[in-house]
Amino acid sequence: MLEFKDVYAGYNGRDIIKDINFTIKRGESLAIIGPNSCGKTTLLRAAAGIIQHRGQISLSGSAIDTMKRRDIAEHIAMMSQINHVHFPYSIYETVMMGRYRFLRKNLFGRPGPQDIKIVEETLEKTSLMDIKDKSLNILSGGQLQRVYLAHTLVQEPELILLDEPTNHMDVKYQIDVVNFLKDWALKEGKAVVGVFHDINLAMELTDNLMFMKEGRIHGMGSAQELITSTFLEEIYEMDIVSYMVRSLERWKKFEEDYE
Amino acid sequence: MKKLMRKIVFSIILALAVLVLSAVLGSAKIPLANIPGIISHKLFSSVLDPEIDKLIADIFWKIRLPRTLASFMVGGALAVSGTVMQSVLRNPLASSYTLGVSSGASLGVALVIALGISLSGLGSLLLPFVALVFGLATVLAALGISSRFDAGLENQTVILTGMVISLFINSILTIIMALFRQHLQRLVFWQLGSFSGLNWDQLMIITISVVPTVIFLMTYSLEMDLMSFGEEHALSVGIDLKKTKLILIFLSTFLTGASVAFVGVIGFVDLIAPHIVRKIFGSSHKIVLPLSFIFGGTFMALADIISRVIVAPSELPIGSVTALIGAPFFTWVYFSRRRSQDAGV
Repeated sequence: MLEFKDVYAGYNGRDIIKDINFTIKRGESLAIIGPNSCGKTTLLRAAAGIIQHRGQISLSGSAIDTMKRRDIAEHIAMMSQINHVHFPYSIYETVMMGRYRFLRKNLFGRPGPQDIKIVEETLEKTSLMDIKDKSLNILSGGQLQRVYLAHTLVQEPELILLDEPTNHMDVKYQIDVVNFLKDWALKEGKAVVGVFHDINLAMELTDNLMFMKEGRIHGMGSAQELITSTFLEEIYEMDIVSYMVRSLERWKKFEEDYE
Repeated sequence: MKKLMRKIVFSIILALAVLVLSAVLGSAKIPLANIPGIISHKLFSSVLDPEIDKLIADIFWKIRLPRTLASFMVGGALAVSGTVMQSVLRNPLASSYTLGVSSGASLGVALVIALGISLSGLGSLLLPFVALVFGLATVLAALGISSRFDAGLENQTVILTGMVISLFINSILTIIMALFRQHLQRLVFWQLGSFSGLNWDQLMIITISVVPTVIFLMTYSLEMDLMSFGEEHALSVGIDLKKTKLILIFLSTFLTGASVAFVGVIGFVDLIAPHIVRKIFGSSHKIVLPLSFIFGGTFMALADIISRVIVAPSELPIGSVTALIGAPFFTWVYFSRRRSQDAGV
């Protein structure tokens, strides 16, 4: 459903991502991992058709740069980092706005019974129903991200792009959100492409990993194929595997001491 | 919901009360009880109550009523324009004035006054026509230049370009004023703004320009809600951002331009109305836009009453009255909101 073919994209005439090639099918997810400034977010923005690109990005067979914004929104929703709330909408209003492409069919954007039903179901699923009338400016970072998750889900896309989706949430919510999206993609035959700093969290979403370095794909495949000391050292310039093993031993020791 | 409805009903009653007050107060007092009789006489040609002074009836019908309605219409237009600009540009201080509409309009008027230009056929509409054309042309120039430097038309580029063009035009205006000092007073008087002398024909033109534009802008409430979350977000939900932004900026500029053209440069209403309305009625534009219109109209009608009552039979410039009331009021609203946000309530 999403295909990148020899894609270059960036800002002010400077390419940030270079020679990107990959395909995502329905029901598949992809976790993009890499150090800061490696082009992960730029890749997502190119996939959403938000920035100009060279090469070919196809969405369900159509070139994304020939599609209207509303047609792209039928396929793709992007869950961006929004840390500043300009106007204090209520949670319910914010989630309802995610139905834009459906609401827009009415001249004044009035929600119909189907819109209300989907929004309420999603508020229930994301545990926001009880606080639906609260204003965005009094929510915690974690609650705010859940609101944007619900806002993204009611758009009913085929593919969700997650840009650092969980960096304001505590560990429980991070794992919950990732598992929620994993189930959503599997059960409904949809796809998720997420950008992660945390390799463990990325693997919680999918076994289909893409490692990026300096704007290029450095490796793509399963964790089994990719995660080796040498490979990660090439990317992060440190021995990540030894660090993970040391951390695991520390945790094991805590557990043993407790028992 | 009931609470919201109560607030809306209260706002409408308040607006009607101010309109009635504006119609009766002034250098000539018009008894409230005479108003239905005068309206019935003028509209349906019914016999005028012999107890009603014919002069008072004429003052009400030919001067006071069009002036009152025009002040409400212009206040509403400026408030809606400010609301749209603040949402689209995601800047609490943005307005059509920021993009140069008043500078452009003033330049047009200055050229007409200084060079003694007259166009047969336009008569007294020459100044409003030139002001509107120059005001719109300035904002279009700002948008054109922004778009040349920044294809995505990002907010900062638009605001900065508007401000630079405004400053540039203001300097030309200063040169014209220095070279044609004999016309300085007329130009300054125009810039100060006034509702005096507005007649039914002008009110009709203002109404035809303002009402359909405000209704059309209301169909974009959802887009404005989403655009306030940021440009990337608006794009990702399916908004054709550049086109929508151009339409909204052009229409809100048109609202300000049409107002400035007839009554001169009146500040503060476009700045304070959106803040106050959002504080009272929430953030959703389907509520904020019509309520900004009502609030802006009420505020302007009130300012106009003060401008003509306080030193009657003389008048204070309306722009200074809106600023005198608006500045402390805005400071209180804006900072009390920030305090409550900082306190997390």
